[in-house]
Amino acid sequence: MPILQLLSDIPVTGSTTDYAPIALQLFFAIGFIATMLIASGLIGPKRKTADKLENFASGIPSHGDARQPIAIKYFLVAILFVLFDVEVIFFYPYAVNFKGLGWTGFVEVILFTSFFIIGFIYIIKRGALNWEE
Amino acid sequence: MDITTIVFWFLSALALFSAIMVITRKNPIFSVLWLIIVFFAISGHYLLLNAQFLAVVNIIVYAGAIMVLFLFVLMMMNLENLPVVNKNIWMKFLGVISGGLLLCILVSTSKSAADMNLKTIIMKEGNIGLIENLGKVLFTKYALPFEISSILFLSAMVGAVVIGKKES
Amino acid sequence: MNALILSAVWGIILMFCSILVKNKKAIGYIAAFGLLTILIGNIAETYGTQITHYNIYPMLLLDRFGLFFNTIAILSVFIFVLLSLIEIRKTGKYEPEFYTLIFFVICGITILTSYQNLLMLFLGIEILSIPLYILTGSDKKNLKSNEASLKYFLMGAFSTGIMLLGIALIYGGTGTFNLQPGTHSVVGTYHGISFLEITGLIILMCAMAFKASVAPFHFWAPDVYDGAPTPVTSFMATIVKVTAFLAFFKLCEVRVTDTLTAVNWKMIFAVMIVATLFIGNITAIFQQSVKRMLAYSSIAQAGFMMYAIFSLNDVAKEGLLYYAMAYSLATIGLFATMSKIKDYSFEGYNGLAKKQPTLAATNAIFLLSLSGIPLTAGFFAKYYMLASVIKTGSYTWLVIVGVCFATISIYYYFRLIQAMYFKTGNPDTIDHEITPFFKNMLIVVAVFIVLLGAFPQLLLNWFYF
Repeated sequence: MPILQLLSDIPVTGSTTDYAPIALQLFFAIGFIATMLIASGLIGPKRKTADKLENFASGIPSHGDARQPIAIKYFLVAILFVLFDVEVIFFYPYAVNFKGLGWTGFVEVILFTSFFIIGFIYIIKRGALNWEE
Repeated sequence: MDITTIVFWFLSALALFSAIMVITRKNPIFSVLWLIIVFFAISGHYLLLNAQFLAVVNIIVYAGAIMVLFLFVLMMMNLENLPVVNKNIWMKFLGVISGGLLLCILVSTSKSAADMNLKTIIMKEGNIGLIENLGKVLFTKYALPFEISSILFLSAMVGAVVIGKKES
Repeated sequence: MNALILSAVWGIILMFCSILVKNKKAIGYIAAFGLLTILIGNIAETYGTQITHYNIYPMLLLDRFGLFFNTIAILSVFIFVLLSLIEIRKTGKYEPEFYTLIFFVICGITILTSYQNLLMLFLGIEILSIPLYILTGSDKKNLKSNEASLKYFLMGAFSTGIMLLGIALIYGGTGTFNLQPGTHSVVGTYHGISFLEITGLIILMCAMAFKASVAPFHFWAPDVYDGAPTPVTSFMATIVKVTAFLAFFKLCEVRVTDTLTAVNWKMIFAVMIVATLFIGNITAIFQQSVKRMLAYSSIAQAGFMMYAIFSLNDVAKEGLLYYAMAYSLATIGLFATMSKIKDYSFEGYNGLAKKQPTLAATNAIFLLSLSGIPLTAGFFAKYYMLASVIKTGSYTWLVIVGVCFATISIYYYFRLIQAMYFKTGNPDTIDHEITPFFKNMLIVVAVFIVLLGAFPQLLLNWFYF
């Protein structure tokens, strides 16, 4: 498929070729970044002294290790995020079929969502999102 | 060879190579990064099969959210001070044998299965994987599993609170 | 469906009890009341009263067998909760969540007893397992509990992955997720059955055997049962394991009979039975801790339950129900007593008969039942299992193997009886927790076991009534 044709308005056919422009865009984006990084590495001036190679820590001498174990509270938020993220995914196929499914589909989704809202209220009330110091 | 075949072989090679890199890296952070590449390659396969919704979900949920969780777990542990586990060479050997046996069975099955012969994968066409049809099936035929899965989510939420919340 | 809806609702109610109910002592009783309503709801459904008439057929099918098993399972959970009220209260701030997770497990049980679709099997197994991973680690300050939880989770998640692979292959071979495979129309396959289906079935069986802790997939069980808090072990080793067996049975009943021409399933199951019985019984002999001994004994009992899956006939069906009841009740009683004793080793039980005669006497009955002595429920449970094999007419040597291992099991069960009655010592018990209510409950369970043993038709008549 010639590139010019890709750039013109193509009617959506529901097949994977619809995604060719996105692939093209991705290709150019990655290509551009890679070229820039490699080029600046090749062309740019290099002065390697001991001070230059040290990790930058706002001017003060660096100390300790950056690899400290993080607290579990971050993880708790992250895992709750994933659960609600997955829930949102289910809305997408529903939104596309919103009219076709009618009231039955609506009741189903309301039931599903109410379970999640119950869970959400529980999480809030139980203080799972409170930031412990 | 048309472009689909080339893309297919490229994605397959990429997925296999990255998967091997996942399990051979010493540093778990690198394993996770390679795993992201595996997910992208698999998403490419989904696109080839015309299952666009799955491809997008795979990237959003797996490569996006779940990989972040993996990294969080790795950052929670103090990897510097982990004792080096000396695995028994016999255990490794047995592992290779049992894994290889499973591989043999799966390969010979898919090669000898008569219902697999003379059949090719439907590439680029077929509309089962399209989001519209998927939604129709999900909310009619599979409505009950869909509702019940919310119980699974609830128990995961309760579990996250029970395990992750400080007891005070 | 009643039980499924009610248990989900009660799970949510218990979730909010953690916020709304200030009186900590009330929570256990609320949960017990919830279990009672679920039990009543399920019995009502057995006789035709339903909350909703939502069409669930292609996914779930509530038959008499499944509903009756639900009754047994919920009754066992009820007894388990009444016996472990104090232990669960000691889990601290997250007591309501403990019950919530148990209610969600009951949801999983009701799905597994009625699934007609492999997707529902997967969903049921997940709803059954995920709360258990959490419950296993609910004793957060205890390193052993943490280790057990992590081990169980990693192994369980891996086996779930294997299970999905199997289901996907079966789908590839038959083109349907239904439990009933339909017609095999593919030409030129092995005995008319697709290779993909056979491979998928074998992989799926491995995953199911893992969940039911049948050798060679039993290796997680001792560590997890040993490390988990005692009430959780009691729950896992009895109700959950028996449910996994029922799901396994339902799967085999359809799929194994269907593929018998292609695969020698009987041989595979026979090997698994002998391996499970051998590993469970022989290792149990050498244990010094009662908790670990019971863990291995539960593997051995799984070997006996495998007989039902081997024979797959009506006697096996009845036997599985009977075994579920007999085994669950006896083991729940034993674990409940154990959680009142400070030292879990055999020495810790020395002289229990002098100090706590009720506990010792009921425990002796439970142990006799587990080892299969006549006049207890365990005898008829084992009898049904062995009779089902005789009825199939092949592999009768399995019966002899079963009897031999049952005899071996007497050694380690009687070792505990000997410690309680014939050795002197002062066992450390948590005295103030052994309430008259607890003792009476134990007596009720023991009487029930003896009644079942004396009149085995009691349970099964009800099944057919």
